[in-house]
Amino acid sequence: MADLKGMTGKIARVDLSSGTVTVIEPEEEIYKKFLGGSALGVYYLFKEGIVSPDVDPLGPDNMLQFMIGPVTGAGANVRSVTVTKSAYNFISIATSGGQAAAELKYAGWDGIQIVGKASKPVYIAVIDDNIEIRDAGHVWGKGVEEAEMILKAEVVAELEKREAMLRDADLTPEWAALRPIKGQGMGNKRLASVWAIGQGGENQVWYANVVTEGARAHGRYGPGAVMGSKNLKAIVIRGTKGHRLADKKTFLSLVDAVHQSERQDYFWRSYGTAGIGAASAYVEDSYPIRNWQWCSWADPSVKLIEGPQMDMASFVKAQACPGCVLHCLFTTEVTSEDPLMNGTMTDMPDWEAMGMVGGNLGYFEMEGKTPSDPYGGTHIDQAEGLAKMQFSAFLHDNYGLDYIEGGALLGLLMELRQRDLISVDDLDGIDLKWGDVHSVDAILKKIIAREGVGDQLANGTWETAKYFAEKKGKPEIMNYPVTTHRYGQPAHDVRSGGDKNALEYVTVGRPSEHTGGGTAGFVQGDYAAAIAGQDGKCATDSLVACIFPGGHMAGKTVDLIKAATGWTDFTEEDLVKVGARQYAMTRLFDIHTQQLTDPKEQWDKLVPHRWFYDKLPTGPLAGTVAYEGNPDKLFNEALPAYWKARGWTEDKGIPTLEKLKELGIDDIAGDIAKQHL
Amino acid sequence: MTGTGVAGLVIGGVVGSQAFPREVPVEVAPAPEEAAAPAAEEAAAAEGGPVAGYTLVADPTRCTGCMKCAVACAEKWATELFPEETKEMVNLEFSRIRPMRFQYVDVINVCHYCQLMEWAEGTDKFPCEAVCPEEAIHTVPEGEGKEGFYGMGYKWIDRDKCLGADKCWRCAEICEEQFASGISFDPIEKKAQACSRCGGDPECVKACPEPLALQWVPLMRNGRFYATQPAPSAELLYRKMYNRRRTL
Repeated sequence: MADLKGMTGKIARVDLSSGTVTVIEPEEEIYKKFLGGSALGVYYLFKEGIVSPDVDPLGPDNMLQFMIGPVTGAGANVRSVTVTKSAYNFISIATSGGQAAAELKYAGWDGIQIVGKASKPVYIAVIDDNIEIRDAGHVWGKGVEEAEMILKAEVVAELEKREAMLRDADLTPEWAALRPIKGQGMGNKRLASVWAIGQGGENQVWYANVVTEGARAHGRYGPGAVMGSKNLKAIVIRGTKGHRLADKKTFLSLVDAVHQSERQDYFWRSYGTAGIGAASAYVEDSYPIRNWQWCSWADPSVKLIEGPQMDMASFVKAQACPGCVLHCLFTTEVTSEDPLMNGTMTDMPDWEAMGMVGGNLGYFEMEGKTPSDPYGGTHIDQAEGLAKMQFSAFLHDNYGLDYIEGGALLGLLMELRQRDLISVDDLDGIDLKWGDVHSVDAILKKIIAREGVGDQLANGTWETAKYFAEKKGKPEIMNYPVTTHRYGQPAHDVRSGGDKNALEYVTVGRPSEHTGGGTAGFVQGDYAAAIAGQDGKCATDSLVACIFPGGHMAGKTVDLIKAATGWTDFTEEDLVKVGARQYAMTRLFDIHTQQLTDPKEQWDKLVPHRWFYDKLPTGPLAGTVAYEGNPDKLFNEALPAYWKARGWTEDKGIPTLEKLKELGIDDIAGDIAKQHL
Repeated sequence: MTGTGVAGLVIGGVVGSQAFPREVPVEVAPAPEEAAAPAAEEAAAAEGGPVAGYTLVADPTRCTGCMKCAVACAEKWATELFPEETKEMVNLEFSRIRPMRFQYVDVINVCHYCQLMEWAEGTDKFPCEAVCPEEAIHTVPEGEGKEGFYGMGYKWIDRDKCLGADKCWRCAEICEEQFASGISFDPIEKKAQACSRCGGDPECVKACPEPLALQWVPLMRNGRFYATQPAPSAELLYRKMYNRRRTL
């Protein structure tokens, strides 16, 4: 094993079919090339043949990976990434904050890879080198909140657990008379961290995620469904071995410098992602309202989507990931006149939920009004809207579902009902109307149980639209799923151009990704800058680092890697190349696993009809559509120009063999590229 | 009882009847003359140096769980006790303060300096001190002890006397059974470790980025400090912060 610093040099491969654990020890050259996190995970998807169309995403052959990188642990923030093949049959890369990532490093691992399928529900307990597959019958069927807290108590470090040694004679007689020894021994510390799935993942809802700390999730592309398909409820980690660093002093002083800078960051420290609410709706005209029929309210009175106002109404306290002082998450307690919601404990929610299971579901209009009308309500009415948004986010979190794809699905269903394209009977009698949180609650229960129509809805927005288009004989239903690459669009629209350019969603390495990077480059038509941003983001996911403190880490990232690993010759260019490798391989993965013969027609053009044909009805940028309503400009001009700038083929957008060679991945990805060039 | 016993050493500053204050008090009650802080101490406090008669006040509602306190503490003790072994290592197991993340609440787990009462328990020692068979846990009187530590009645575990976790864990067991979870064991020699408040100038307080989450303030004491185990602490915080009855 290479004597690595920063990394541990060990990845645990757990085969749930055989119940065995194998230790994978990658060469140092592999680490230098792929670093860790997402890029290293994608490397293994190729190396182990998961990229093959023969591997069923929900079959035992698929591999689910939890990966971390060289700065994960004592770094300036902590993040983990899941890498697998999604139930949607495309790449699944999802990052999450939370302590579990650091704990994995402290336990001595750079990642956990899970293959096979357990014969009954299990969880994996990692205590340093010791990895056990344990029965999870007692937590199967429970939501992530409850399951996490139960499992956290079951995994305690060796030094923290002891049988009772004390006897009453160890106390004074007076003391023993008052409080005799109970004989329970030691084991009270709660330092383990948990990645768990909810009922959504157990029943393989395609967009099920993996949650930690109640409200942080590897949210997108369904890693929870893959986990559920393996009968794996959770991974619980307790590590005591620390983070080994080549130059600890320099590393810690860089971390400290990042923190000093972050402490002046009033944006994140004040409201987290809630800080962007009003700008999205009233400046950028790109906030989801009623399945994107509107992106701004005509009456800007709706304000409980805005940090200071939400804080006044509900924030309880700030929570940070370890190593970060931005504390972007604010916990909340839902206050409502509706007993269904009142008293629910959740987070603020995060911006994407504010959009996708907030405005997108019509929670902020008064009865009988549309977003084009005057608001007509009070601050208390708005607080009830906020409660619905927070409660819907809680439901998705606790069931372990991606609320972006989930919100896109619910928005689609509500619009199909609004347009009378489907009936109440099509939804098993649930009358799904704008703003009706009770019907959302009811339909989600069906989805997570895959019961009745829920079994269909559990396959996501795009498949649901296809199902109803066919069932009802109404092809126009395909105009309403707001999905790119068959996955729900996040809470940033592209029609106004105020937030994102449509090309960004078409070219992201992960379907419908809002954090793919390069946003400014796409808006300005500077594809070199856009590509640098995308590659940089892939590199960030390989570190694994968070994008929120990106500005504070700027100029220090490479130094942090060097101080962690001791690779004194590692450069900024090397880092960007890590991202470029992952980006190219991600594209090949999607093309190969789906066996696309004409990627542009079969894949890249799968964008929302609404982008080009439904003008924004309200707001400062009313009247706009994407690319002036001309898809040809996007797909026949902008996209080939972007592919050219990438050094990919201009007809199909496939990395050329020269490009792969230049990136040093022709050995691992060249054969697959050849099949599609 | 004999005055405040050990606490007589701890109390060098202010005697108050308040519970832990939420804000740094701007006005403090006039201290009894014999307990007044010497001028040198006041000067040290102003400069941020070690001060006697101060205490650590932790507000879990303001803690974000960022772990900067734990990193600072771990680094201080790892560097001091195991400089060679930890030259290339950050390991939180050396920390005596461990915030514990429960969903939506963070419990700041650190020794609370709780203390028994002579009229009730028959001793006014720390519970961990009382059950230690080797007398390894003791209070360092003010003005004595480690160089650089001012001496403010801080708790100290004599590593030469401690038997180590393979042989004895009475201190940790009594803490966990009846009080909190303020004792841990270092991962190298497995000797007991507990917060000694850095002898009057705690690294955790200096490292904490959140105003009022960790404070080093004049001692306010009302007879006895109490502590609660991590999971029950979280249950209480759920009640306080979310009006939620939750059993962990």
